[in-house]
Amino acid sequence: MQSLLWKIGGEAGFGIMTTGLDFAKIATRQGYQIAGYMEYPSLIRGGHNTYEIHISVDKLHSSKYHIDVLVCLNKETFDLYKKRLSPDSIVFYDKEMFEITDQNITALHLPLKETLKNENAPVFMMNTITIGASMAVFNWPLEVHHAMIEKTFGKKGEEVVSINKKMSQIGYDYVKQHYPDKSFPAFQARKTDDTNLVMTGNDAFSLGALIGDCRLYSAYPMTPTSTVLTRMAEYAEKVGIVVRHAEDEISVINTALGSAFAGVRSSVGTSGGGFALMTESLSFAGVAEIPVVIFLGQRPGPATGMPTWTEQGDLLFAVHAGHGEFPKIVLAPGNLEEMYSLTAEAFNLADRYQTPVIVISDKHVNESIWSTSKIALKLFSKSYEVDRGKIASEFSNLQSQISNYKRYQFASDGISPMLIPGLQGHFYQANSYEHIEDGHTTELSKSRVQQVNKRNKKEITYLKNHFKGPEIIGDINTSDVVFVSWGSNKGSILDAMQLLKEVGKTTSLIHFTHLFPLDEKAIQKVFKLKKRYILIENNSHGQFGRLLRQQTGIDIEEKLLKYDGRQIFREEIIDYLKIEM
Amino acid sequence: MRVNFPISNFKSQIISMSTIEEFSGYSPTWCPGCGDWGIGAALKKALVDLNYSPSNVLVVFGIGCSGNMNDFLNAYAIHSLHGRALPNAIGMKIAQHDKPVIAIVGDGDCYGEGGNHFMHACRGNHDITVIVHDNSVYGLTTGQVAPTAQKGFKSKSTPGGIIELPLNPLTLAVSQGATFISQGFAGRVPDLIELIKKAIQHRGFSLVNILQPCVTFNKVNTYEYYREKAYDLPQDWNTGNFEEAMKKCAEPTSIEKFPLGVIYQVEKPTFTDELPQLKEKTLFQRDRFTDLDSLLGEFE
Repeated sequence: MQSLLWKIGGEAGFGIMTTGLDFAKIATRQGYQIAGYMEYPSLIRGGHNTYEIHISVDKLHSSKYHIDVLVCLNKETFDLYKKRLSPDSIVFYDKEMFEITDQNITALHLPLKETLKNENAPVFMMNTITIGASMAVFNWPLEVHHAMIEKTFGKKGEEVVSINKKMSQIGYDYVKQHYPDKSFPAFQARKTDDTNLVMTGNDAFSLGALIGDCRLYSAYPMTPTSTVLTRMAEYAEKVGIVVRHAEDEISVINTALGSAFAGVRSSVGTSGGGFALMTESLSFAGVAEIPVVIFLGQRPGPATGMPTWTEQGDLLFAVHAGHGEFPKIVLAPGNLEEMYSLTAEAFNLADRYQTPVIVISDKHVNESIWSTSKIALKLFSKSYEVDRGKIASEFSNLQSQISNYKRYQFASDGISPMLIPGLQGHFYQANSYEHIEDGHTTELSKSRVQQVNKRNKKEITYLKNHFKGPEIIGDINTSDVVFVSWGSNKGSILDAMQLLKEVGKTTSLIHFTHLFPLDEKAIQKVFKLKKRYILIENNSHGQFGRLLRQQTGIDIEEKLLKYDGRQIFREEIIDYLKIEM
Repeated sequence: MRVNFPISNFKSQIISMSTIEEFSGYSPTWCPGCGDWGIGAALKKALVDLNYSPSNVLVVFGIGCSGNMNDFLNAYAIHSLHGRALPNAIGMKIAQHDKPVIAIVGDGDCYGEGGNHFMHACRGNHDITVIVHDNSVYGLTTGQVAPTAQKGFKSKSTPGGIIELPLNPLTLAVSQGATFISQGFAGRVPDLIELIKKAIQHRGFSLVNILQPCVTFNKVNTYEYYREKAYDLPQDWNTGNFEEAMKKCAEPTSIEKFPLGVIYQVEKPTFTDELPQLKEKTLFQRDRFTDLDSLLGEFE
């Protein structure tokens, strides 16, 4: 698989994020697939930001170690990443800022500071010069960058657009004039049938929620899901939903439970700390049987932890969250396509089972970017059907004839008809206390046991009707090694499998998306062969391994665990297997 | 009926006259003589007078002796967690803003456990009516001190007398942007009926703080105590003056007097008024959004 990695780094607050995203879109407009991600500290100014874009003709799932183009907007970028360079790499830098003396590195000076001074341009326009320069080494038409400038800066007025275009031109011309032999001829612009969209996992969640007819989104800002709040708020008026930025996460989830009770599909988003505050209300949703979708974006804890980095440390917390016993569904998307489809599905599951559904993700999938097929997204959106299960605003839609409506009526599948408040001649309460069939509070042992059994039946019904076993990628039968994983690790594992295949090593992946509850019998079948199973997780406890053992008795002894706040890279998987590439 | 409702195409939800019996659920289990009896009776009468039925009001109950009204009052209701009734009420209102939303809460519930929600619900001018059973104690857990108890109040959790000053919900509500602030007394049911009606009819956040003697655990703030310390606002009281309202609301703290009636009322847009997407239909009644294509341009 031929691919290039372009990386830019510089001081926080200088527009690295916008530049990275724009370059990714430029690459997809040239007909390429991308996988990109950013690193930034929990600061607004003064730290170090980077954005890297992995570019290939084929579908990409993750980044790679070797950097092909490194754009240094300061010395720190060079010092941090020179270990990832080879003599073939191109390094853009400004010798006015620092010197590169290493003769083994292809260091290309760009007159960044000088240009800013000559043109009287603000410092963040350095980025624009370097994109112009990058367009030149990729041999991509500069108009594509200029079109992107118009799109990104159009709102700021003609003057901003024209000076950015000028900066881009200067960068481009400088490279063409001084380094005409430096280019990547294999990466010419190419035509494709499909349009590729570039988005983050949070964007995919937002679109998935809208496809799933989510009408209320409530949240309190918390990395790494804050951009769902801002994205949904940006959409709200146009698409006709309501977004409430509430005073705390307890209010966030209780707002959603109020609106869900009143018949509106509702969702909340947070990270571990905010989710911790929500857990009492999660239990409330369980007993009162109110559907709600919770988007949990993990970051390294405990407590405030490392807010802008990634980890999968909250899986067991999510699975066990909430006091008392109640049914709960946990889904884990591993890429953009799974994110929008599982999110939309989560709203159907929450309604069908009238219980909380948690969509668990992590900073890596929340904030990293990938290219994704526009056609596939639109097809999914068209084919998605809202299924509210036994929730209805009129009895004729409740799938059963009821003369004396009881909110918590016994049902063989555990699911009672839920009447949306408003139908004349009826009323009921959704009760946080244990209750009898009609919703009134009870402390009787018989009623208690009946309602517990009713709620527990939902889990059995779910496992029978809607649980999905893991996706198996590759051929387990012929594989030497079988990876077992979940969530965002999927990307790096797939890319590692591709590289391993290229050197004749066959591997496969058992990728879980429906994490809880797990169907013991179905999963035991998946693991029936004697193989070298390797559990890959982005945490130190091997939490999914523990869950798998708890739920199915399957114990995976060999584990590749990473918990330094960074995602797992494909090279780390290959290194672990001690395979020479 | 609620006046000046800005949505023209809602069909009237009002059917034939309702009765107190329709609103009556189980027989209350409150202690004989508890102020909650008067509040429960007044609320039902107010709803009947306003021509509502149990099918067109949304109610949230908190947790405590007050919240136990869940089984005694018929309505489309949530019996919430302790302290969380207000955000539930806000969510209900956002989803179906054509219906009145009433929160039945206690002082420990709403001013203690849910204090943060109270402040922010005032700020948002959410069109909900918050009826607080203010008895200065935690009755359901056998009489520990609550946030509105007067300094020095002795209880099981404060045997030496409470060190903290009492929270003043009225000044808090005025300062945080509530648009209807009133105080009632559980011993004056006819007045309470009128107060609750005005609160429900008010468009915006309405607070009815009800002085409610707990005959079992509070031997200080008794019926006699309030008959002596509470007084009616004058007939010509100007409810629209912020500074005067602030002074009046401070009286329980400053001079141990309890004004009864509507202390402050102003007209301001409610939270849902400010949302253009809710002008034509409620969030629940709206059509599903399907034009995904219109959002995809920026990802190219």
